[in-house]
Order: sequence, then structure tokens, then C-alpha cells
Amino acid sequence: MEETRPLCVNAIVNLTDRTVDFVETPEEIIRNFVGGRGLNMYYLYKYLKPQADPLSPDNVLILGTGILTGTLAPNTGRHSVTCKSPESGIIGDSNIGGFLGPEMRFAGIDRLIILGKADKPVYLYLEDGKVEIREASDYWGLLCSQTEAKFHYDLGSDVEVQSIGPAGENLVRFACTRYGVKNAAGRCGTGAVWGSKNLKAVVARGNRGLPVADPQGMINKYIELRDYLKESKVINVLGRVGTPLLYDVSNYLGAIRTHNSQQTVFFDTLNAEEVHKHVEKMIGCYGCVVHCRHRNTLGGEGPEYTTEVLLGANIGVADTAKMIDLNNLVNDLGLDVSSTGTYIAWAIELFEKGYLNEETAGRILRFGDYNLARDLIYDIAYRKGLGDTLAEGSRLVQKFGPETADFLIAIKGLPQSDPHDVRYLKGFALGIATSSRGADHLRSRPTLEILDLPVSFTTQLYGEPVDPNPTSYESKSTVVNFSETIYAVVDCMGICKFVCHGFNSPRNLNYDHFSELTRLATGLEFSKDQLKQVGRRVLDQERLLNYQEKGITRKDDTLPARYFDEPMPSARAKGSHIDREGFNKMLDEYYELAGWDKDGMLPRERIEELNRLRDLTEK
Amino acid sequence: MAVRQKQIYCRPTLCIGCRICANACALTHEGEANPRLGRIGIRQNLFERYEYQELCRHCDEPPCLDACMVGCIEKDEKTGIVTNDDRCVGCWMCVMVCPYGSMKRNLVKQMAVKCDQCKDLDGPVCVEACPTGALVYEDREDEPEKPFFTGPSVT
Repeated sequence: MEETRPLCVNAIVNLTDRTVDFVETPEEIIRNFVGGRGLNMYYLYKYLKPQADPLSPDNVLILGTGILTGTLAPNTGRHSVTCKSPESGIIGDSNIGGFLGPEMRFAGIDRLIILGKADKPVYLYLEDGKVEIREASDYWGLLCSQTEAKFHYDLGSDVEVQSIGPAGENLVRFACTRYGVKNAAGRCGTGAVWGSKNLKAVVARGNRGLPVADPQGMINKYIELRDYLKESKVINVLGRVGTPLLYDVSNYLGAIRTHNSQQTVFFDTLNAEEVHKHVEKMIGCYGCVVHCRHRNTLGGEGPEYTTEVLLGANIGVADTAKMIDLNNLVNDLGLDVSSTGTYIAWAIELFEKGYLNEETAGRILRFGDYNLARDLIYDIAYRKGLGDTLAEGSRLVQKFGPETADFLIAIKGLPQSDPHDVRYLKGFALGIATSSRGADHLRSRPTLEILDLPVSFTTQLYGEPVDPNPTSYESKSTVVNFSETIYAVVDCMGICKFVCHGFNSPRNLNYDHFSELTRLATGLEFSKDQLKQVGRRVLDQERLLNYQEKGITRKDDTLPARYFDEPMPSARAKGSHIDREGFNKMLDEYYELAGWDKDGMLPRERIEELNRLRDLTEK
Repeated sequence: MAVRQKQIYCRPTLCIGCRICANACALTHEGEANPRLGRIGIRQNLFERYEYQELCRHCDEPPCLDACMVGCIEKDEKTGIVTNDDRCVGCWMCVMVCPYGSMKRNLVKQMAVKCDQCKDLDGPVCVEACPTGALVYEDREDEPEKPFFTGPSVT
């Protein structure tokens, strides 16, 4: 008789010594960090040697599934990939959908903690509670799609594969790791860390069942929540056209990042209607009730709103098919779309301003040049010519001079992922300025700010009255605080943000649903308040890690100078910019709500608590 | 004479490959989550761009029944439902002969698992759980079988 499966099994893989150890997470730690992003941050704090070089064997790479990943709860196909980011030098954490996370759990492993560096290319094979370190020389150098196809050929078509492409192998600092055609743990350069460890792929085959505390209750709850979610308008639209639906919203507002944010309005050719002409079918990730992924007619998947703006408007490519082609290329090479698009646009502006010339760049850089963008993407992934320089990412500010950072749309060393120019919506601006991994919209974007919602409604949503005017600086800290806390919890659960309360609809899954689902899946009881505290604890843990690694404080919670100094040029948002005084006031309030001091530091008691939890021993 | 029975059908254009059907099936029949333990399966290849639904057709003359060497697969004469039981020894002959890929293996228990149309419940749970309505449980007219080879023509 098999013994009961522990709630969280971690495999500690040391690639240098080629050893694998298993530890269980004690229940006290699970109660404090839950799983997914939360437990990943806990283990990163526990295992990372302070100030380690991100591309050295000292970096710690963690793949962690959420507490609900793989269960029947809606949209639970997600896991988090965490390490110290080679791009920004602070925490690197990226959430990925697809099917690998559930498969890891079915293989009996909830979290992989990867240390050291293999002497030759390897991949990890997970099955029946075991982790094998296997040779991957035959796979090294292949594109993401080729790698997965070869694994399916060699090991059977039923294995799930997450891999890096040439960009990760060549240590491009914004390389991503990829599952399938399009799913990516995109941000923070996690792919480069895989490459630095000579880790090509993680392959899982899960034959074991994942125990669910109340199976019948879970089925009933799933059906109830599915019907509830299906009533949501935005989920229906996402299922029909995907994220490009946001393009027109931002474009009419005059807030599409165009030509490196020098302009804010772009052609209609990239809107959902045009994109949809190239879509064959909409598909979903594991356990998905939304199905927002496009299978495009040009041989890939996508594009998302992020891609169509950052590889479209931002570099001036207006042709829909060409933009989709760039999207497919970037996906196959294993590059982060947001960073790639931002750096290329930045390089073009550097060229315009004379920091680069035809001799140093090897070519003429200009906006709207599809062939140039295509060549540059290849060169970045294979580190050739100017691509080799750009592959260093935001560190190039040191090479070109600190003033070039003023027009690099990045915060804390990470380019902005949100295609929305944040100068109009102050809540968005505060969100990306304070996000724990750099300029990122998936940490704290209060998306609903973009709609003019009635006060009664926002009061119900955020739990207290907030200023409904999106351009005011009042009470935006409340909105951001609310959003970042619930997004942290949703990442710990392993649920997709598209069904999360507040991300794009006020009536999706909230704390009550999470606590109900956790009880049905694991038998653990979490109250609404406890879950909120978990969210805050995870955010504090990230802040502490950022302080430890790069001394992140108030001075780093800021925006690119372009957002402060240059008013937006067009449409409804014309004239908007971020006022430094108003921004500082928002920041003061934000720190107060987070319980941090004026400089954005954690209180001593919190640091002691986190250190005490870190030092707890494991079985 | 074949029994007229309701069957689980799929409308493939609506299938998004989420595997919820298989997972709900596994939870119902095994009490554990894992689409691989479901009696229905979604075979998906993102690169070759297809989703194929491995559904049991409850054949009139089931090859799995003929192939089973311990005789643990039966076809109910009244309902037409083909079931197996736990006398299974895990030889996987039924898995090999099923032309639709709908016999599944439970590799932990070393037993074949097979769809019983949730005969003890109100209706098949996979159909109930499908988020897009791709699966339906219907009584359809049988399509008359078209001959694979047509007669020689002289044109």
C-alpha cells in the first residue's frame, strides 16, 4: 500500500554533483506561503547565496506549482519559474501556463529546486516521484519547437516538455523558457539561467493521481464556478478574440506604446478584428474555461496584445501578417517578447539620437522596418553583431551613458511588459513603479481603472471608497495595494489571472473562492484574512530579497524620465504626464498601506519573522 | 441486432484541448486528479495542430471484448454499454486493438480503464464538465456505412 502523498514534495537537484534529494514542505510553511510564487520566494530566500552572480552556478532556479495546480479548479495549469534575474539583478519570477505544471504534480513532484551547473547539456526527466538527470547533447542548439518535437519522438508523444531555445543557450539576458508553441515563462530572463546551468529542458510524464480531499465536492464546485465565469462578458470576449481586444481600447485613448513611447497612437491594422483574420482556432491551457490562445494561420500561436504592440507599434511594424511572423519567430527562438520589443525600439531611438551609427550598429536602424527587426531578433538570439550588444539588455545603460535610461522604458532593469503607456492612468503608473520584478503589469495592474466605473461599484470592488477618476493621484495606492495582494495570492494558487477578481473583471474568483477551492483540494482551511496576509507576506519576502540583492528602496520605485517629463502627444490622453509631486504622494501612501517605512523598507519585526521561517528545518 | 443507445459525441471544432473532461472523469472514477486516469482522453499536438478526442464508441462488436483474455470486458445486452472490471491483468491487448485509442491504461494499478458512460450517475461527467459544449450525449441516427472501395469505373 502506498503511503499518502505529502502536500508538497520538493526535489532538490544539484547539477554539479548530479544528486537529487527530496524534502517535504512543513505545514507551517505552507500555511505561510501556500505554494507557487509564494513558496518559490521562500525557497529562493532560503537557498540563494546573497549577491550571487545570476549566471553563475550559485544562482538557484525553482520551478514550483501552485497549491491548486492540476486539480479540477478552473484554469489551474500554471506554475512559477523563479531565480535571481540576469536581466535586472533582482528577483526573477515568471508564471507560465500550459501543461507542464500539472504534469510535474502527476509525476509526484511539486517543486524543482535546481542548484549548481552541469558540465554538459542535460535535461531533467520526471516520472513516478523520481528525477533523472539525463544527457541533452542531442537537443542542444535546437529551436524550442524542434526540441519538443524531438522529445516527443524520442520519449513518446505523451510527455510534457518545457525547454529553452537558442537564446537561452547563448545566455541572452532576456531569454525565456517555453512550453509548447507559445506558453512562456517569459519575463526576467529565466531562460538564460537555464542556459547557464546547461539545462536544456524539463520533461515530465505523470502517471500518478493527485489526491483531492473532496473529489465530488470539487466537481460540483468546478461546474458551479465554470457557469459563473461563463456569464462574464470579458471572459466571453477573451475566449473569442483573446487579449488583442485591448488594442482598440488603448489606441482610442491614445496610450499605445508607439516608436519607443515617442508616440501613442498607431494603425488600426493590429486590432482584434484584423488579427482574427489570421486565426485558425482558439485553444486553452490545462483546465481552462477561457481559451484565449490563438492558433494562427502562419504556423504559430498568438499574438497577444503585448506582442502586437511591442513587436508591432513599438517598432513601427503595421502589417498584421508581418507582426504575427515576428511573434512566431521570437517564440521559437525563446526570447521574451516584451523585452525584445522594448530593446529594439530603444536601439532605434539610440540610433536616431546618435548613440549608435551605421558603423557601430552595422546597419541603418529605423522604425517600421520589418526586415531589420527580423534580422535583429535572429542576431540577438545567436548573439551576432549588434544583437550581441543588445542581448545584454538593460545593462547597456552603463555603456551608452546614464541619460539613455531616460528613454529606455524599463524600471529596476526590467522593460515594461504592458503595451499601455501609463502616463494617463496614474494607477497603472504606480503599479509598474512598485512591482517587485520591475516594470510589469501582471504584479499589480489595476486594469479596471481604464473603465469609468461608478463609485458604488468601485467601493464594492476594493472594499473602500476610492477616487473613480483614473487621472487623479488620490487613493491610487489603495487600488494598487488591493491588486498586488490578490495577484500574489492567485500566483500562489496556480490559477490564471484571467479568472482572478479585479484583473479584468470585478466578478471573477476572489478570496472566498480560493479558500473554498483550497479546502476541497487539500483539506486545509484558509480564511479570507489569512489569504490576504499570505499575499502581503509574499510581497514582503520579495521586497526583502530585492533589498538583499540590489539594495532596492524608494529610489528604485520610479518611472522612466520620459513618463515624467514628456506629455503624451495624441488623442484623449493628450498632455498627460506623471507629476513628480503627485507620484511621490502616491508612493508615500503606498508604503504606508504596505506597512513599510518612508524609504520603502520592511519593518524589523517582519524581517525577523521571515528569517525565522527561513531557518525552520525540513524533513 | 444492435441496441439503440445514446452516445458521447464530440464537435471537434469546439474542443480547446483543456483536458477538463478527462480530469473530471478521473476524479469521478478514481477520486484523484489526472487526465491520464480518465476514461476519455484528449490527444493534442500543438505543433501538428490537432486535438483528437479519444472517445469510446461502445461498438456493436467491440474488438476489446474479443481481445480480452480474462474475459473481463462485457457488453450489456439491454443498454449496449461496454464495461470492464477489476479482473483485468494489465496485458493491454484491449489497448492495442481499440481502433479509436479509447482504452486507457492505469499504470499505477496496472489495469485497463474504460468508459462506462457513467451508467450509475445521471449522465456522463465529461459531457457535464466540458467548458465549451464540445462534448454532447445524444441519440443520433447511425450514418449508413459508405463502402471504402467503389466499383471500378471505365472512364
